[in-house]
Amino acid sequence: MKPIACSEATQQFFAYLDRVLSGESLEALEAHLENCLSCCDQLEFTRKLDAFVKERVRHTSMPLGMEERLKSALRRAATDKK
Amino acid sequence: MKRGGRRGRKRDNSGKTCALSMEQQRNFEELALPHLRSLYGVAIRLSADPQDAEDLVQDTYIKALQAFPFLREPEKVRPWLWQILSRAAMDRFRREPREIYVGDLQDLDGFSLYHKVRDEDPFPYSDRLHQDFLAQFRDEEVNRALLALPEEYRLPLVLFYVEELSYRELAEVLECPMGTIMSRLFRGRKMIERELWEYAKEKGLIKRWKP
Repeated sequence: MKPIACSEATQQFFAYLDRVLSGESLEALEAHLENCLSCCDQLEFTRKLDAFVKERVRHTSMPLGMEERLKSALRRAATDKK
Repeated sequence: MKRGGRRGRKRDNSGKTCALSMEQQRNFEELALPHLRSLYGVAIRLSADPQDAEDLVQDTYIKALQAFPFLREPEKVRPWLWQILSRAAMDRFRREPREIYVGDLQDLDGFSLYHKVRDEDPFPYSDRLHQDFLAQFRDEEVNRALLALPEEYRLPLVLFYVEELSYRELAEVLECPMGTIMSRLFRGRKMIERELWEYAKEKGLIKRWKP
């Protein structure tokens, strides 16, 4: 297995965190992380940043009466087609 | 042979002439309406304005209702709705294109918010520098950063963050190869990092750029 540099390791952080890295790429990254404190720190920051963004974009409330307006539109659409 | 054929009133997924029985319509509502909140949650991250988001969701549901007779696997209603919403969103974006600066992709790939924060050290007395940096951003600023992304990056990223779709699911919903999804999610997140850094400069967090 060929060792990888920090620049190559960091390019794979998202794929690693998303669990889509496999085979030799995964092994090479894990071997690099074992010996590179800076990359470990950066990976941890990437994980936190991802969680931070996810947390902030997930919560929304629907506009009042939206479901009723949608149901009316669906019934109109169904009637129009008949 | 073309899907749907010429006889009868049913056509393809864009079907303009599909008539549904009352029972089919009831089935559709039972199956599709429980996903309304999720669809709206994604639509509001795509369009920012609540009225535009509601219109996008309504458009999605009407298209889905028209295509409902062709849904062969009702248990797949959720990805099916995502696909219809994604197509409707992309149609809208194409009708109203925005000029978005993406810059050099190689520079973008090499951008690291981690290093920027470490090198500029906006909180010299902090022992949790990166966490303190992130804590400066309000929800609306993070959403603004997301809205600044070109649509082809924003759409997969929103589905990924809000609905936690896997790469495979994203590839199916957005009808593109896994490799494309992988690169869009990578660059989309790099763009978010870059946007947050720009906001940090605007907010005066970084002294060197303080206006």
